Amino acid sequence: MTPMIDVVFLLIIFFLVSSHLAKQETQLEMELPTASTHEPARDDAVTRIVLNLLADGRMLVGASETDPATLESRLKVAKQESREPVEVRVRADRTVPFALLEPALVACAKAGVWNVTFATYERRE
Amino acid sequence: MANSWRDARFRRGETQLQMTPMIDVVFLLLIFFVCTASFQAIEYVLPSEVVVSGVGDTTSVELPPDLEQLVIDVAPRESAIPWQVNDRPCRTPGELRGVLEALVSVAADLPVILDCQPATPLGDAIDTYDLCRSLGFARVQFAAEAK
Repeated sequence: MTPMIDVVFLLIIFFLVSSHLAKQETQLEMELPTASTHEPARDDAVTRIVLNLLADGRMLVGASETDPATLESRLKVAKQESREPVEVRVRADRTVPFALLEPALVACAKAGVWNVTFATYERRE
Repeated sequence: MANSWRDARFRRGETQLQMTPMIDVVFLLLIFFVCTASFQAIEYVLPSEVVVSGVGDTTSVELPPDLEQLVIDVAPRESAIPWQVNDRPCRTPGELRGVLEALVSVAADLPVILDCQPATPLGDAIDTYDLCRSLGFARVQFAAEAK
């Protein structure tokens, strides 16, 4: 039995690790702001678009670089095609100046998306 | 004595603990738990509202009159006056907290609008937003202006 258990365990570990890595690929590591009044991230029935604002000023949706105009049109399309409400989750580095975030917020408003959330880490006092 | 020429493993009546399979399984379990443990910090969500001026008739939000709103001007933390609450300067986080605590005890339903300067880091803006929410203000919004 031992060799079979060995192999089965190895296969389980392989699939777990590969799925874990695939999940991490979609989430860029960055220094998010901290907050104490946060809520747990839920997988509600919404069409979620994750906007990454990097410390170097780049704006990414998914893996592709974007700009406020493209973001606006993309949000409009998402709003038209989706039956569920559209949510924009901003994952921004805490050092990013507000001047970089403001056009993104305006793009959301222009597209009629008012559900904007910020990704944060828990504040440890 | 009759069986003394046999290998120790095959002597009748003697049992030996096989360590190798157990070590195999223990190592595999160890690797399993190490791999499945998440080393990434858990992310949370901070819901927000946005007040955008100059977008157009359909999406712009009318700001209420001055006396019925609280506008906090948020500048970078290093600046001389990092916060202004309805034009009243607050130089330290403690001062800001004091002003907001006094206000929230009077009118917690007052809409709070955070008007962040372009150079304000998002971390500072979120800190102020978080402070307003933790003090009990029901409605805290970020102001943005379409250029």
